[in-house]
Amino acid sequence: MRRAERPLLQLPVPLICGFLLVLSSQLLFHHYSPLLREFRYQPLSSPLQASTYRGVAMGSEKLMGYLLALRLQLHDSQAGRYFSYNRIDYAVLVDWLEQITRVNLTSEYPMLLASRVYSQTRDKSRLQLMLGFIERNFDHAPQLHWRRLAEASVIAKHQLGDLELALRMAQKLELQPASIEMPHWARDIRFLLLAELNEFESAIAIIEALLQSNAVTDPDEKRFLKDKLSKFQQELSESRQSIKN
Amino acid sequence: MFTQTISLFRYLMLGILSRRLLVLVLVLAALTMLVGSFFNELAIINGKAIVVALVADFLRYSLGIFALLLITTSVAEDYEFKQFERLLTMPLSRWQYIAAQVLVIASLCLLLVLPVLLVISLYSDWQVGLYWASALWLEIFLLGLLGLLAILSLEKIPLAVCFSLAVYLLAKLSGLIAQMLAESVRLSDGSLTSRFVDFIFGAILYLVPGLETFAENDVFFGNVNLIEAISVQFSSTAIYALFLIAVCLVDFYRKEFNL
Repeated sequence: MRRAERPLLQLPVPLICGFLLVLSSQLLFHHYSPLLREFRYQPLSSPLQASTYRGVAMGSEKLMGYLLALRLQLHDSQAGRYFSYNRIDYAVLVDWLEQITRVNLTSEYPMLLASRVYSQTRDKSRLQLMLGFIERNFDHAPQLHWRRLAEASVIAKHQLGDLELALRMAQKLELQPASIEMPHWARDIRFLLLAELNEFESAIAIIEALLQSNAVTDPDEKRFLKDKLSKFQQELSESRQSIKN
Repeated sequence: MFTQTISLFRYLMLGILSRRLLVLVLVLAALTMLVGSFFNELAIINGKAIVVALVADFLRYSLGIFALLLITTSVAEDYEFKQFERLLTMPLSRWQYIAAQVLVIASLCLLLVLPVLLVISLYSDWQVGLYWASALWLEIFLLGLLGLLAILSLEKIPLAVCFSLAVYLLAKLSGLIAQMLAESVRLSDGSLTSRFVDFIFGAILYLVPGLETFAENDVFFGNVNLIEAISVQFSSTAIYALFLIAVCLVDFYRKEFNL
């Protein structure tokens, strides 16, 4: 049975006034607070230790590793706005990538973020940090990360302009024992680096080699690479067109 | 004797089953699929594996809590409506009530994991789906038994649910707590207090299930022997379930009911 209720107008006036005041302050706060936050970039906080994340994962460490990587990937998108990678503190970013790698040692995701997402900066000191991360982690699991090092060597040559670093990375790939399975083009990437190719030509050559050698099995990554390939091909043709004109 | 237990089980089971239960499980499954598709859009690689692992964990925790609430509510109603007093006037032993409740928990868990089998098989392959459904059945069954013990002892739903969840989380977070305590011993240069707390926690861990008792989420990222994983979990759950049933029996036989 529904309990009978008194009409609102019979309630004490201070109670109604107080209620309206609190309601209007809530509405005003809600209306203005996004505007105050809108243009303020929230810097990346330092990560916890990997062992803490593993403990909090409650037995789902691999999933935790991926979720942390996704959270990091989304950091540049805040309050519906995209911020430039230049605003990110790359030392903290590398720390995050290191911890995520330790949470899930079998995941390629942090290395992928380093080689394909965070290497898109034109700041050379930041790029060096990212390439250093890739090089270090390749040493721990060469079978898992040879593709990232191959990509990193091309980035080192064209974006960083450091041919010496690029050749050092290429040599690491070349000197891997036969037990590490990788296609011949990856072991011989030194020749690609020494050839007179521009940034787009090198990237196209690497992506085509990756796709043709069936080194990529994940459908999401294949789609990602095909998108990149068509983008680089378009940019290459545009740059050739502008040279002709 | 067996017929009486089955009749009691059917009576208790009918008290739990309802159309709302089915609707809620279907809503949960649909919700997880929606959340999963959102994450699939975000991931650059391994999107499918991330989604299925996330959906599986979401279903694990939501169904676990759901089962716990259903079981504790059902037994709490028996207390509230003086059902125990009524049952004990009949030619029924106390162990038969516990046996019927164990059967109810087992059947309820089976009903809850059937949609999980379908959802996981849809996202992944049927072998992984079968593994996860079986492993989840074992996990929720254990949580249900824990809930039964808690409600029989504590008699109040909030207390029983909090106690069961505390033990469940303690078991799941035991690695993290052990790590924190070890760090505390190290930072305090091995002080007596820190070592004592560490020792007490180590002793408590003997009475809570280990991490091997729970479904292994890493199966969704490959390289896990499913048969081996489920065998380890089954043996560990069997031992702990028997222990919980024994404690339930001891506690229930000790209770005085005003007949």
